Amino acid sequence: MAQALAVETHGLTKRYSTTVLAVNDLNLLVRTGEVYGFLGPNGAGKTTTLRLLSGLLHPTAGSATVAGAAPGSPASLARLGAMVETPAFYPYLSGRDNLRVMARYSSVSTSRIEPVLKQVDLTDRAHHKFRTYSTGMKQRLGVAAALLKDPDLLILDEPTSGLDPQGTVEMRALIRDIRREGRTVLLSSHLLNEVELTCDRVGVITKGKLVAEGTVDELRARSGGRALLIRATPLDQAQRLLESLLKTEQVLVADGALVLSVDPSQAASLNRQLVSNGVDVSELRVSEQSLEDVFLQLTENPPGTVTPPAAQS
Amino acid sequence: MIASLRAESLKTRKRWANWILFGILLLTLLLLGYVLTYVLLSHPPRNFRSPVPARVLKRSVFPENLLPNMLALTSTIGAAIMIILGGLSTASEYGWLTVQTILIQKPTRGAVLLGKLAMLVIVTFLISVVTLAATALTSYVLVTIDGSSSSWPSALTLLKGFGALWLEFAVWTAFGMFLGIAFRSTAAAIGGGLTYLFVGEALIAQLLRNTEGVKEILRFLPGINASAINASFRLTFQNPNATTQLVDATRGTITLLAYLVMFALLALLIFQRRDVAGG
Repeated sequence: MAQALAVETHGLTKRYSTTVLAVNDLNLLVRTGEVYGFLGPNGAGKTTTLRLLSGLLHPTAGSATVAGAAPGSPASLARLGAMVETPAFYPYLSGRDNLRVMARYSSVSTSRIEPVLKQVDLTDRAHHKFRTYSTGMKQRLGVAAALLKDPDLLILDEPTSGLDPQGTVEMRALIRDIRREGRTVLLSSHLLNEVELTCDRVGVITKGKLVAEGTVDELRARSGGRALLIRATPLDQAQRLLESLLKTEQVLVADGALVLSVDPSQAASLNRQLVSNGVDVSELRVSEQSLEDVFLQLTENPPGTVTPPAAQS
Repeated sequence: MIASLRAESLKTRKRWANWILFGILLLTLLLLGYVLTYVLLSHPPRNFRSPVPARVLKRSVFPENLLPNMLALTSTIGAAIMIILGGLSTASEYGWLTVQTILIQKPTRGAVLLGKLAMLVIVTFLISVVTLAATALTSYVLVTIDGSSSSWPSALTLLKGFGALWLEFAVWTAFGMFLGIAFRSTAAAIGGGLTYLFVGEALIAQLLRNTEGVKEILRFLPGINASAINASFRLTFQNPNATTQLVDATRGTITLLAYLVMFALLALLIFQRRDVAGG
C-alpha cells in the first residue's frame, strides 16, 4: 500500500523577478512519519521552499499540499508546526509569555505550554526575556512554538544553525524524539552530517531545483557509490597507465593517492597491470563515498567531472 | 479574530514602549499644556504682549475650556504619539520577523490584522479616557489653587469632545499602522508619519491654506479636518470670527471616519497579498 504523503508539490515555482528564480519546478514528496532532509547549499532555495509550504509566500506557479490542504490554509496550519529561517519572537516577552501569545493565536489551550517547554528543556529559563536567550535557547523555543499545536508535520529550517556542539547533539536528540512520537519532520540543512544522522530520506536542491532524492545510501549508489583508492610509486607512471586502461575522467589524484571511479571488482586485474608494468602498489582498497562527496558532486561540479571520494579510515 | 485580539492584548500590555509613549503624552499634556501655561500666565513676564490679557488667557487651563485646550494640545503631540504607537504595532512585527511566527500559527492574515485593529481601537479608547480624566483633574486642581470659579462643559459637550479625541487618536494610529505595513520598517513608518504630520500638515498645509486651488486639496487632509472638529470647541474668550476653518466639523468627522476605514482597508489589502520573507 502506498504511504500517505505529508507534503506533495507539483511544479512548485517561485520567481522574485525576471532574473531571480528561487524555486524552479519543484516536485517534492515527503511521506508521513519520516524525517525528510532537505539538503542544499546556502541560497539553493531551501528556505523559500519552506516559506511556500508554510503559506508565507505565494507561488508563481505550481501547487502544493501540506498536511492534506493548501499551504497557509487554516486546515493545513492546524496540523503544521514550523520554524522557518530563524526563531522569531518578541524580545520584551519571556519565553513562556511568547508561547502564551502563540497559543492564543493558534487557539490552543495554554496547558500545552509547560509540556512543550519541558520537551525542549527550557522550563528553568522560561520566565526570562527572549532577548536574553542564547542561540541554542532561541532555537529550542522555536521548536517549542512549533510543537504547541501538537502538529502532525513539523518543518524545521536549519535547526542546528549557530548551535555549539553540545546544542547540536541535543537538537538532534530532540528531533529523534519528535520522530518517535510519530510526527513527520521536514528538515532543511546545509550540514551533511546532520542530515546523515537524522534523516530517513534526503532531497538535494540546488539553484531552486531538486537534483536528487532518496535515502542516503541510494544517493551514494546513484553517484557512483564506491571507488578504488590506490597508493603507488611512481605515482605519475601509475596514473598514465591507469588512464590508458580506463577513461581519463575515471582517474583522479587526491592527497597523493589515485582514486578510481570503477567497480571494485576490477581491483585484482588493475593491481596485476600496475605491478607487471613496474609500479609498486603499497595500498589498494575500496573507498566509500561520503554524503559530502555526493552533495558536492550534485550541487557544484559541472557534468563530466568526478569528485574525489574521501578515503575510508 | 478574538484569538488574535487576545494575543494582541497580552503583547500590548507587556510592551514597555507603549507605556512609555503614553507616559510622554500625559506628561507633555499636563506639564506643558496645563501646569507651565498656568504658571507663566499667572506671573507673565514684563514684556508679555497679547490682545487678550494674561489673566483671561489663563482661563484656557480651567474646566470651562477643558475640551478646546485639550484638543489643541492633542492635535500635535497626541497625533505624533499615536502615529508612533500605530507604526510600532505593525512595523516591529516585520523587524523581529514575528509576523512570520504568527502567520505559521493558525489565524488567517485577515484575522491577525483585524485583531490588531480591534486592539488599537481599545487602546486609543483607554488612552482617550485617561487623557480626558487627567486633563480634567489637572484643570480642577489649577482652578482650585487659583481660587477662581469655573464651570464644566455640559455632559453632551464632554461626550462630543471625547468622541472627537478618540476619533482623532484612532485615525492617526491607523495611519501609523498602515505605514508600518507598507514600509515594513519601524524607522520608515515613524519617520514618514511624523514628516507628514509636521511638514505636510503643520507647515505646508498651513502656509498654503489660503491659496486658491490648493485649498480644495487641503480640505481632504486628515489634519485639516481634525482642526475643523477641534475648532468647533471654542475657548470661552475666543472671538467666534477669529479663525476660519476650511471645512465644518460635520464634514471633518465624516472625512476622518473615511480615513479610518481607508487606512484599515489599505493595510488589510497589502498585508493579505504580500509575501512574508526574511529581512
